[in-house]
Amino acid sequence: MENVSHPTPPPPPPSEGASGDALSLTTAYEPLVLMELIQRLKVRDVMTHSVVSVERCIPLWEAQRLMKEKHISGIPVVEEGRLFGLVSMEDIICAIEGGYIAQPCGHYMTTKLVVLEDDMPLSFAIHYFDRFHFGRFPVLNRDRLLVGIVCQRDINRALLDELSKEFSRMEKSVARTTPPDIGPTTYMLREFPVAKYDFENAGKAANAIKTAMLERKFPPKMVRRVAVAAYELEINLVVHSDGGMLTWQIGNGRSEVVAQDKGPGIEDVAWACRDGTSTANEWIRSLGFGAGLGLVNVKRVSDSFEITSKVGVGTTVRSIVNIGAPLEEQE
Amino acid sequence: MTVQDAISVLNAELIASGEGLLKKVNHIVASDLMSDVLLVDEEDMLLLTSLASDQVLRTAQIVGAAAVIVVNGKSLPSSMKKVAADLGMTLAIAKQSKFDTCIALHQRMTS
Repeated sequence: MENVSHPTPPPPPPSEGASGDALSLTTAYEPLVLMELIQRLKVRDVMTHSVVSVERCIPLWEAQRLMKEKHISGIPVVEEGRLFGLVSMEDIICAIEGGYIAQPCGHYMTTKLVVLEDDMPLSFAIHYFDRFHFGRFPVLNRDRLLVGIVCQRDINRALLDELSKEFSRMEKSVARTTPPDIGPTTYMLREFPVAKYDFENAGKAANAIKTAMLERKFPPKMVRRVAVAAYELEINLVVHSDGGMLTWQIGNGRSEVVAQDKGPGIEDVAWACRDGTSTANEWIRSLGFGAGLGLVNVKRVSDSFEITSKVGVGTTVRSIVNIGAPLEEQE
Repeated sequence: MTVQDAISVLNAELIASGEGLLKKVNHIVASDLMSDVLLVDEEDMLLLTSLASDQVLRTAQIVGAAAVIVVNGKSLPSSMKKVAADLGMTLAIAKQSKFDTCIALHQRMTS
């Protein structure tokens, strides 16, 4: 076991073209749903659990027979759950060429191994394939026992499976969604999905709302109030929620912004709405947010403000601003 | 005072001209806390900050700031120039501290 390399955090993935046929994902340009998946899924969720293995005393030809029979290209050498090495296709070819195929696996196995841990995020495994160009990685648990093996095919299959479930969920969600109605003259409705910790895009929804209102010549003071409410709620979704939806509609002389998230929910809503109270961490504060003023400010700029929350379910915040008619209609 | 005047007084480096160069500045807001900036109701404001992030520009756009000046000569992330261009926000870097920047601009506005 001395030669087994323990996992270390992988370096940033190469920017382009370095992976050959390996699965390579960067964080900046992939769809959010995919990036969430590779962070959420653990190595144990995608690995093959029933590992075909041999002991050190088993001859190499027996390992070769097993590899042929099971259609695998590498076989771990394991005793009582502990990983000692790995016999690869290359080891077998060398054994045939060198005339030592009848020798025990323990003498000729590959002992310099890189392993993964079962509770690592899938993103680690993907980066490891990109970095080391191995066909497979043995997976150990916290007790350093072999619990699985992962190859690129396992990752592809798991990702396709999860993406299929995700799309299915999204389709059902879209089918269920009926636009809320705040009056008979609702004439604009927009929905903006917001992802957790997505600071790169945070604020884009509020900016889009502001631009749309200015284009339609609503009074600038009203536009500013709506934009501030939308921005604070959008930042709240990014900072505090597990992701959600910002919905905006105007009609009947009112603008309504609703932020609805998927959790984690607020234990004490009254406390959260108090000036200066926040659960934001130092990292969030270093970005200029998390001072505990967000909900207070939404309330300040709104003519009507509502918040409901349930721990484990989610939070919904509704801000209504009486905006009147566009300036050109007033004239 | 216009944004262009403020940039001249500070001898600041203009990163993105945006739409604010000729706008009038009647208020200066100096803060690194965007939550505080969002509480300010004044129009025609110039935002001074030592926070160099895209969110500064988005916040400035939401409150209708005429321009953003990043103080202390901070180097900006490459994305800021693009975000400023997308938003039409005027962006500059001043070498002075936030305190000295405020004093210089106050003198210019009251002279």
